[in-house]
Amino acid sequence: METALETDQLGKRYGNTWALRDCSLHLPAGRIAALVGPNGAGKSTLLHMAVGLLRPDAGTVRVFGETPYDNTAALAEIGFVAQDTPLYRDFTAGELVTMGGKLNRRWDGTLARTRLAQLGIPPDKPVGKLSGGQRAQVALALALAKRPRLLLLDEPVASLDPLARREFLQALMGSVAESGTTVLLSSHLLADLERVCDYLIVLHGARVRLVGPVEDLVAEHRQLVGPRHGDDPIPGVASVVRASHTDRQSTLLVRTDGPIGDTSWAAHEVTLEDVILGYLADGDRPTSNEAWGVPA
Amino acid sequence: MIWLVWRQHRKQALFALAALAALAALVVPTGLTMRGAFADLGLPDCVRTLGKAGPANNETCLTAFQQFNDEYQGFLLVGILFLVLPLLVGLFWGAPLVAREVEHGTHRLVWTQGVSRRQWALAKFGLVGAATLVIAVGYGLGIGWWLGPLNSAGQRNRFDPLFFDMQGAVPVGYTLFAVALGILVGTVWPRVLPAMAGTLVGFLGLRVVLATLARPRYLPAETLTFPIQGTAVAPRETASDWVLASGVRNASGELVVRGGSIECPPNATGPGAAGCGTGLGVEPGAYNWQLYQPADRFWLFQGIETGIFVALAVLLVYLAVRRIRRIA
Amino acid sequence: MIEFVLDGRSKVNTYVQLVQQVKQALRVGLLSPGDQLPKVRDVAQALAINPNTVLKAYRELVIEGLAEGRPGVGTFVTRTLAGASLPNQAELRADLVAWLHRAQAAGLTTEDVTALVETTIRATLPVDPAAHLPA
Repeated sequence: METALETDQLGKRYGNTWALRDCSLHLPAGRIAALVGPNGAGKSTLLHMAVGLLRPDAGTVRVFGETPYDNTAALAEIGFVAQDTPLYRDFTAGELVTMGGKLNRRWDGTLARTRLAQLGIPPDKPVGKLSGGQRAQVALALALAKRPRLLLLDEPVASLDPLARREFLQALMGSVAESGTTVLLSSHLLADLERVCDYLIVLHGARVRLVGPVEDLVAEHRQLVGPRHGDDPIPGVASVVRASHTDRQSTLLVRTDGPIGDTSWAAHEVTLEDVILGYLADGDRPTSNEAWGVPA
Repeated sequence: MIWLVWRQHRKQALFALAALAALAALVVPTGLTMRGAFADLGLPDCVRTLGKAGPANNETCLTAFQQFNDEYQGFLLVGILFLVLPLLVGLFWGAPLVAREVEHGTHRLVWTQGVSRRQWALAKFGLVGAATLVIAVGYGLGIGWWLGPLNSAGQRNRFDPLFFDMQGAVPVGYTLFAVALGILVGTVWPRVLPAMAGTLVGFLGLRVVLATLARPRYLPAETLTFPIQGTAVAPRETASDWVLASGVRNASGELVVRGGSIECPPNATGPGAAGCGTGLGVEPGAYNWQLYQPADRFWLFQGIETGIFVALAVLLVYLAVRRIRRIA
Repeated sequence: MIEFVLDGRSKVNTYVQLVQQVKQALRVGLLSPGDQLPKVRDVAQALAINPNTVLKAYRELVIEGLAEGRPGVGTFVTRTLAGASLPNQAELRADLVAWLHRAQAAGLTTEDVTALVETTIRATLPVDPAAHLPA
């Protein structure tokens, strides 16, 4: 299967801090992938390298086999909607569509105009005067008018109200169904992801924690509840993602590689959200009781 | 790209044109009045004879010059406004060019279309630079024309710091430099207000440093010596030379009087029948000394200074283009 | 043409919900052979779901022989589930209503009835592959 996005040992450093490190993943074409992680996990950094805004400090990133940095040919295949959907606020939506036509060799202005007309967005009003949801729709229409093979969206719905968020996702899903574009969208909102995305990339602390098709990931993970557990291996468990213990009982989120062999464990199926939260919560959290002056 | 640059900056362009029109509305009538007065007082003739006989020998001319200068000296204050123009262009055209894009995040929109960042920068800087050049040449010529009579009336030296700076070719150099500086500061500090502040400080700093420290040394200055007795007028003053330093040196060459000259008519004596200047501690054998840049170097100096600023502008734009590649 | 709805709180996989809704419509005669199923694009947009999910549901229906894809046109129903059972349904339903009244009289709550029906189905009827899609 064709690979839309592929990174190998990709890294980006700001000063002495790695914003992204040892990032190796590949995204098959035709997927709608979620890029999940807390703020500052490196989501934007990864997207910016994928769209050629940033040059990697380590490793490689390829979009349909091409290095995107300083490469307008690769850029033509990528649609990008940056965080907070930046637009020239004094331009009208119509002028922005015209602008896209001037700046791109391949440009479907009719597609953009049709979409915006269907959404009831006025063509002659400065986009700065539109609502946040409408602006996001304009940005999406501009990105889609490039007829990209890979669409990158950086927190597209984070700042939208629930109705606008739903309308945005509807528009996105409808156009993806038409174009077959591969999509990578970053989000720290887990709601909607399960319905929208069929591929998952979890970033945490500048590193990739989990990559794969949603269906497989959900099927592979189980929550085990059983007697207090030491460190001894459980048959069928490939790795323990997260563990919490009381004095008698242990609750484990595990990645399985076969049926759970030990009958003393009750295995529960998990949702996508459970899996994501399990991977996001696994970092060591230093307690700050002392700093707050409260007893531990 | 041309469409985009025009669409993005048309407001600024129209604003600049309006400002130029306002400037013209001020400059044209006052300039015409000045020229009228200059002609009415018969000064063009005086200027023509100036080189030969010198105004001191012509009482009518002297009074006429006096009268003209009394009337229009105040206009020089207006001229100071023109000194600020290059800076304003740098602040309002240069500084926001990249800084506003990054501040609003729109660089991520425009740099992810099918145009490379280098093309974007060249189109944008090129067109804004060209517009700057046109505007700068426009007001440079306008101010030059306006200053003509004041120049000829001559009490002011063309090398005078403010006077030198507002006419000829240098305003063009300053303006291009200010815009380039604004662009570069905007890439280093991509917020509009800090970029403007940085441009302001950088521009004024470099201008002051160059004007006070470098300009007198563009070419080795010439020296002139003349006796303290027997000369009526310090010879170079009237010829619009730029006197950098002057004084009186004694026979062995030491500077005994700083900043000035002693000029006594032939055979005159000081108080108490002493020799000329003895009261100031000047002994026989002393002579007047002047360090100066000759008046005919005016255009050469204009050229040198313009060249420096244009070269700096090119360098800054080059750095800005390089810097842009690292912004995300 | 039918319209899909999703139960957001349901733990049932989205594509399974779509398959079940088509089957339900086939059973009650809302869809019959020759009818076109909603276009993938329209379903994806209306429900804001991944189009691959819709495709998967339709593929499932094709595999089960209930529908067929016509390239460039859409997906069409080929078989009905109402079949022979439809005429019998009224009679069976009457029996069920009578039985439910008896259950109620015996003091069973709705939950008790549901649980009883489910366990009995599991115990007596052979496993229907369509009802056992991975959840």
